[in-house]
Amino acid sequence: MYLKKLKLKDFRNYSQVELNFSPATNILIGENAQGKTNLLESIYVLAMARSQRTNNDHELMRMGKNSAIIQGSLANRLGTTKLEIDLNLKGKKAKVNQLEQAKLSQYIGKMNIILFAPEDLSLVKGSPIVRRKFIDMEFGQIDSHYLYDLSQYKIILRQRNRYLKQLQQKKVNDLLLLDVLSDQLAAFGAELIVKRTKFLKDLSKFANQLQLEITHQREKLALEYLSKITLPAANDSPEQLYQVLKKQYTTHRDKEIFQGNTLYGPHRDDFKFIVNEQNVQLYGSQGQQRTAALAVKLAEVNLMKNRIGEYPILLLDDVLSELDGKRQTNLLRAFQQKVQIFLTTPSLNDITRQLIKDPKVFRIQQGKVVVEQENQGGKQG
Amino acid sequence: MQYPEPIAKLIDSYMHLPGIGEKTATRLAFYTINLPQADVDQFAAALQAVKRNLKYCSICGNVTEDDPCQICRDQSRDQSKVIVVEDSKDVMSLERMNEYHGLYHVLHGVLSPMEGKGPDDLNITALVKRLQTHPTITEVIVATNATPEGEATAMYLSRLLKPAGIKITRLAHGLAVGSDIEYADEMTLYKAIEGRQEI
Repeated sequence: MYLKKLKLKDFRNYSQVELNFSPATNILIGENAQGKTNLLESIYVLAMARSQRTNNDHELMRMGKNSAIIQGSLANRLGTTKLEIDLNLKGKKAKVNQLEQAKLSQYIGKMNIILFAPEDLSLVKGSPIVRRKFIDMEFGQIDSHYLYDLSQYKIILRQRNRYLKQLQQKKVNDLLLLDVLSDQLAAFGAELIVKRTKFLKDLSKFANQLQLEITHQREKLALEYLSKITLPAANDSPEQLYQVLKKQYTTHRDKEIFQGNTLYGPHRDDFKFIVNEQNVQLYGSQGQQRTAALAVKLAEVNLMKNRIGEYPILLLDDVLSELDGKRQTNLLRAFQQKVQIFLTTPSLNDITRQLIKDPKVFRIQQGKVVVEQENQGGKQG
Repeated sequence: MQYPEPIAKLIDSYMHLPGIGEKTATRLAFYTINLPQADVDQFAAALQAVKRNLKYCSICGNVTEDDPCQICRDQSRDQSKVIVVEDSKDVMSLERMNEYHGLYHVLHGVLSPMEGKGPDDLNITALVKRLQTHPTITEVIVATNATPEGEATAMYLSRLLKPAGIKITRLAHGLAVGSDIEYADEMTLYKAIEGRQEI
C-alpha cells in the first residue's frame, strides 16, 4: 500500500499543506527544527490515530489553534481509500471515506506503517525491559492468545510476589499456596516462553535476510532467547517447560522467599543479537548495533506482508545518517521498489542521491514544503 | 450553607453503600424525605433485621436466619456432593438452576495475596472439618470464578483435599449456551476446544 496524497491543516508547525507522494521513495530534506519529523508524525497519526511522540493531542495542533486536520488518500489492493483524522480539544474523530468511525479500533489497521526512529536503536543497547516490551508489543499484535497468556501471567506474578513478601515477613506460613501460585505461574510462563522462542525464530529469519542485504552478505544475524533458567534444548513443548519451571521454583523456594520476589520466569528473560557468532551487545561496534536494531525492526515489514498480504509503509526518521554509505544504499535497495518509503535527513550526499532510484525530494523549511526533485513517474500518483 | 444534620447523616450513610457516590446519595436522601412514614419504618426495620436476624450457617457458611441453614438441614438432598462457591450470591444462582440437589460450601472470597486473603481468611478450615465429620461426602465440585484467583483457589483445594481420597471436580469452561461461535472471543473458543467432549 502507499500514501498518494497528504493534506494537513494546523498540524504542528504546518498551517496548510497539500502534498502528492511518490509510490516509491520520498525524501524529506531540511535543516534541524524545520518540521521533517512533524511531517512523518502526521503520517503516523493518520495511521495509528495517535502520536508516537506525545499523548497530549493539543501539542499536535498549531500554536494558538484548537484543532488540526490530517487527510490522506491511501492506495491499496482494493483501490483508493480516503482517511481523515480530525483533532480538537474535545477529542478526535477518525473517518474512512468521509464516514466517521464509531471506534478508533475499527480505524486503526486501515493503513499499516512501520516507523523507525533514532530511539529504536535502544533495542540493542537498552536494558532487557526494552526488548521484552518489543516482543510483547509486536507479538501481541499478531497473536491474541499470547496477549491473554501474558495478562494472566502478570496477574499471577503480582499475587505470587505479594505472597513471597508475606512469607518473607513471616506474616503467613502456608507453603501449599505458594506451590499453587508457582504451578499457575509456571503453566503460563511455559506458554509464553514457547511462543516467544517461536516468534524470535520467525523474526530472526527475516532479520537475517535484511542484515545480509544491508551488510553486503558480510554479517549474519541471529536472535537468541535468553533465560536465567536452563531451558531444554528444543523448548517447543509447553508441557516439558512447565516441568522445568516448576522444578526451578521448588529448588529455589528458600531463595525466593528470602528475597520476597519471583526471580525466574519470562518476566526476567531477554534476547540477544548475535552477529557473526558474536554477541553484538557486548562486542559490536555502534554501526553494527544500529544495523542489527534496524534489521530486526524492519523485519516486521516482511512479517506484516506475510500477515496482511501487503507491504506496509515505511517511515525512517533520521536513520541514514547513522549508517555508512554502503549500508545506507543496501538498506534502501532492500526495500525500494517494494515498499513506499518516507525518510528524513538533514542532507543527502550525492552518492546516495544517485543510488536511490527515482526519488521524490521535498525540501522543508519552516513549515513550508517545496518539491525539489520530481520523480520520473511522478504523475502516476 | 450546610445541609441540616439529619439529611447530612443520611447522605453519609447512603455513601457507605457500594457504587453510590455523593450525588446519588444526596438524591436518595431527598427522596427518602418524601416517602410515606410507613415505608420509611419498613425500610429501617428491614435494614436492622438483616443485621440482627441473619447469621452464617455454622456448617456451610451461607447466610441464613436459622443455624444450620435450610439446605444443610434438608436430609432429602444428595448428601454425597458439595459445591464450593465464592459467596452466598453464587448459591442462589446455582439453586435457580433447579437441577442440583446436593450441598454447598461458601468460602467468602478467593485466595488473593494482593488483597491480603490467604487460606486462613477463607472458610476452608470448616470445609476440611466438614469432610472429616461427614464421610458421606464423596465429591467436591469447585465452582469458583474463571479468574486467576478463582483458579488458584480451585488448585489449592484440590491439593488440600485429594490426598484424603475425595473426588475433586471443576466446572467446565467454554461456550455460553445459546451463543454463536461467530461472536465468541478467541480465548473462550480455545477453552471450548480444550474441553471438548465425545458425542
